[in-house]
Amino acid sequence: MIEFRDVHKFYDKLHVIRGIDLSIARGEVVVICGPSGSGKSTLIRLVNQLEPLSRGDILVDGQSVASSRGRALRRLRSQIGFVFQQFNLYPHLTVEQNITLALRKVLGVVPEDATVRAVELLDRVGLADKRFAYPAQLSGGQQQRVAIARTLAMRPKILLFDEPTSALDPEMIGEVLAVMRELATSGITMVVVTHEMGFARELADRIVFIDQGVILENDKPVDFFLSPQHPRARQFLRQLLSPLHTAND
Amino acid sequence: MGGLSFDWVGVLSGDPLKWLELGVLTTLYVTLAGSLLATLIAVLLLGLRISQERIVQWPAVAVIEIFRNTPLLVQILFWYFAGFGLLPAGWRAWINDDHSWAMLPGGVGLLTPEFLAATWGLGIFSGVFIAEEIRAGLMAVSPGQREAALSQGFGHWRCLAYILLPQALANSWQPVIGQYLNLMKLSSLATAIGLAEITYQVRQIESYNSHALEAFAVGTLLYLAIGTAMGQVLLRCGPRRGTMVRGGKRHGP
Repeated sequence: MIEFRDVHKFYDKLHVIRGIDLSIARGEVVVICGPSGSGKSTLIRLVNQLEPLSRGDILVDGQSVASSRGRALRRLRSQIGFVFQQFNLYPHLTVEQNITLALRKVLGVVPEDATVRAVELLDRVGLADKRFAYPAQLSGGQQQRVAIARTLAMRPKILLFDEPTSALDPEMIGEVLAVMRELATSGITMVVVTHEMGFARELADRIVFIDQGVILENDKPVDFFLSPQHPRARQFLRQLLSPLHTAND
Repeated sequence: MGGLSFDWVGVLSGDPLKWLELGVLTTLYVTLAGSLLATLIAVLLLGLRISQERIVQWPAVAVIEIFRNTPLLVQILFWYFAGFGLLPAGWRAWINDDHSWAMLPGGVGLLTPEFLAATWGLGIFSGVFIAEEIRAGLMAVSPGQREAALSQGFGHWRCLAYILLPQALANSWQPVIGQYLNLMKLSSLATAIGLAEITYQVRQIESYNSHALEAFAVGTLLYLAIGTAMGQVLLRCGPRRGTMVRGGKRHGP
């Protein structure tokens, strides 16, 4: 479904992704984790070309991302859902309009059908009553659930999540994770950049650990959590699991 | 009585009153025509300025810098005395002909060199500023908005039209209103090329019966009334900012 082939990314001289090969099967849920600045967000932003590739290629359903331009690229992007850390809802539109805008203007769905789809999805993420609210009137968790509904409305083949709970207050993380859990079990292909190790352990088919732009671990959750091979992965896990006691280790 | 005495009748009756009426109409017409032209020019310049092609960006930058950094009075004089002369002779003759169809209600001629030069000068001068105000509003929109739109499959122009520009307009609406109000007030400079707007008429009254204080007082009040009304109308037809506040707080409409 997604195949990274010797992927590199430079920001000027800075080499942030250094030759990544990875393939993700249809229906797989892959969690990407790693220390801050390891390149994990950049990696998924390359998939839908929010960042252009510097070298190598990514195949999405057999289609080369590197050589997609113009209409082909827009079509590809419309088939890949992307959920942002900062939600990025459109603040000038209501919740419903946030969901229907791209349906109507990108996919050409007629307004009535778009509205039906929006209402269904709002129901699915538990926000049916917020249909006519504006994003600024919602909590962070609610905004992120709307953002997920907006993404799902496009009926994407792949969902990419870029630290979807990192900007949330702790008490709102659960409601977003609950929606993501439902998605993970629905059979859609998901790539999730997250520090939520609970989600990773419970729902990931595979965990990819990245540091300094290279993959250090690529395992089933059991193996990753119980017997990480690489010392940097072991250190990362220690820091996540007990942040107070690792400074002097 | 000593120095200060008023004779309002000398200004608000007879010929002076007729002149003032004509002046108000002329100011309103040139403001309306200039505003429409400014809007058009602003849209055009903004489109070029934010295009992804360098080659169309720089002519827009040149136009913006020229008209933003030179005095409007000089520009109006240039359009009237030099610009008009550069038009083909046939056009000039046609404009100078009588056109009964181009006579606006109240007896203000639309197709006169004065009206055209004033409209054009005001339109391009204000259009340049409006384009830059909206561009500033555009730059204030968070980059995440564009990324969200791109990730949904929007192209550059559609992303602008549906997502970025509505927010940019809401961000910049207050300064943009200021530009339209400026245009109305700056139309007084067209008195220099003989456009018979409010200031021109006030000066005519002053030289007719020396009622300088009364005439300028009335003229000032007329500008004030037009400006206040215009500001209210523009404020109402603008995008509502209230729903767009970032960071969770929502202010009134």
